[in-house]
Amino acid sequence: MKIKAQMTMVLNLDKCLGCHTCSIPCKNVWTNRRGAEYMWFNNVETKPGIGYPKQWEDQTRHRGGWRLKNGRLALAAGGRLHKGLNIFHNPHLPVIDDYYEPWTYDYEKLVGSPERRHQPSIRPRSQVTGENLRLTWGPNWEDDLAGLTETGPGDPNFRGLEARAFMEFRNVFMFWLPRLCEHCLNPACVASCPSGALYKREEDGIVLVDQERCRGWRYCVSGCPYKKVYFNWESGRAEKCLFCYPRVEAGQTTLCAHSCVGRIRYVGVLLVDAERVPGAAAALADADVYPAQLETILDPHDPEVERAAAAAGIPAHVREAARRSPVYPLMKTWRLALPLHPEFRTLPMVWYVPPLSPLGPLAEEAQGAAVVDRLRIPVAYLANLLTAGDEAPVRLALKRLWALRRHMRAQRLGEPPDQAALESVGLDPGQAAAMYRLLALAPHGERFVVPTAAGGPLADAHTAQGRCGFPAAAGPTPEGD
Amino acid sequence: MNLADELLYTVYPYLCLTVFVVGHAYRYVTDRFGWNARSSEFLEKKSLWAGSTLFHWGMLGTLGGHAGGLLIPQAWFDRVGFDARAHMAVAYWSGLAVGIAALAGVLLLLRRRLTDRRVRAAGSMNDRVTLGALTLVIAVGLFNVVFGHYNVLDTLAPWIRGIVTFTPEAALMGPVPVSYKVHVLTALALLAYSPFSRLVHIWSAPVTYFVRAPLVFRRRVPEA
Repeated sequence: MKIKAQMTMVLNLDKCLGCHTCSIPCKNVWTNRRGAEYMWFNNVETKPGIGYPKQWEDQTRHRGGWRLKNGRLALAAGGRLHKGLNIFHNPHLPVIDDYYEPWTYDYEKLVGSPERRHQPSIRPRSQVTGENLRLTWGPNWEDDLAGLTETGPGDPNFRGLEARAFMEFRNVFMFWLPRLCEHCLNPACVASCPSGALYKREEDGIVLVDQERCRGWRYCVSGCPYKKVYFNWESGRAEKCLFCYPRVEAGQTTLCAHSCVGRIRYVGVLLVDAERVPGAAAALADADVYPAQLETILDPHDPEVERAAAAAGIPAHVREAARRSPVYPLMKTWRLALPLHPEFRTLPMVWYVPPLSPLGPLAEEAQGAAVVDRLRIPVAYLANLLTAGDEAPVRLALKRLWALRRHMRAQRLGEPPDQAALESVGLDPGQAAAMYRLLALAPHGERFVVPTAAGGPLADAHTAQGRCGFPAAAGPTPEGD
Repeated sequence: MNLADELLYTVYPYLCLTVFVVGHAYRYVTDRFGWNARSSEFLEKKSLWAGSTLFHWGMLGTLGGHAGGLLIPQAWFDRVGFDARAHMAVAYWSGLAVGIAALAGVLLLLRRRLTDRRVRAAGSMNDRVTLGALTLVIAVGLFNVVFGHYNVLDTLAPWIRGIVTFTPEAALMGPVPVSYKVHVLTALALLAYSPFSRLVHIWSAPVTYFVRAPLVFRRRVPEA
């Protein structure tokens, strides 16, 4: 057993209202600079849809993440030799049009316009070239299913489903998927970097780009299957989500989590057995990766784990935070949270509680069927998104959420509690009460349990910032530039 | 001894090489953040493919050819039975191949840099100067291969070895044709300019990637 602490986030999609509030403070603090305008360390996608950048989930096109080659784990884009031979032109690098060309407006024209018969108008202007732009794609172009009939069939999560059937109005479904860097246990971006500029921090598992070592080879951008490493076209180097480490080190949660209006996010520490990571990433079948990853997460209440963690040098306050971690019960005890695309084999550490949805149009016809099969969002779709197609874990999570609702509803209305419903999904009233508290009531201090950084504040934090992921000379984009 | 020759072929080369060495050290210390390839593939990918691939492989071949052909004395080659005639023939054909590749590549890159609206907007004057200088040096070099037919083994090559070994002999450059002199002088200027351009990425060739462990871990606070 080789124990490491890992910062982890869980997002409860059942409560996400798609407001994009999470993206705004992230944008304002981290990517409000020239060359970074198009970057969204945190963005919210509408599902179904092809997302940002276009079709990031389709690894037959993007070649991100890992795959098994003769039983051994290998980068899907090709190993060292492939990178050496293609160092002058990365064949799998997405281009700016796969994201969008950022634009602004010449607001001066509005403000400075003399009085006229007609209202002055302004046109979008590219922030790359400064020329006028005809908009055909942009951030959140697919927001709330806009253009679903055009882009929807390109969503790989429809695998095994008749995508066209879900484009019809009576069958249509949607939910939101906020996305940030997964701070993976087995990060493909780190393994792809020729310069060794990307690294995973020993103390908290946060994945960062050393800005002073990055030489702009761009293999991290194509290597990340979640497309959460971005290329700054102005500075010529890679940037990514920092898990707001300057805040996290001070015991505060990330900006996206803090600002979440729906309170869907949970941030905490997990104790992970690093020795089990390579085996989990190389699990035989894609659907085996999730259960194997679950095995890497250790029970912080287990005295043996506690002893080993102390021996591994994990400070007492971090171990204490791990015991109070809100993400541990969601992921491990109740099995409500599931990883995003475990088949990419990076062992992501931002997990999602699948959303319940209204009963679909087939509800009347299928009265006898289980509730989860009558939900508008097909279980198969969620399974393709969260468990590499294995429906069992998704069903269990949805059934538990459903049983919890019925239980709480009965309690609220003064009806006799439906013990059988809870028992059928392996819960007792005590667990239900704890689940309800964490999912519905938990205040800030229970949703976010972030220990201050091991080792205390750095004496030369200003000098160290470039090595931790953001450029030293970063200033906001001048107005109107 | 001719003063002009002395200035051009002893003083000027060492001036350029001093700027080259000190410039790189200075840039690395003061501008680690700016030390990279400044790739524009993200903005334009299609025409970059042919240009960049041809140019880079052509340049690698060209640099290898220059190093092998000029820095190793012909006397050493003679010892293994590789005479000057054969040497010149090999140099001609290999130089022709890699030179054409490099020139075609650099011209494609130059056209892309000047015409693609995004690459033009994101690029700097430094990028254009670098690419222009490369085009000039490569074009003159290829001109020499095709039209020069001058045996450099007894004049130019020993002169370069003299520079490298700190025993300069400017007089050796006397009989060298003008087009070769232009190539040498512009190439030296480019060397002097390179530490202040994106060309510094040459020194960051990721050789350690082939031997290091795939995953990199670092401590926030280094262990004492």
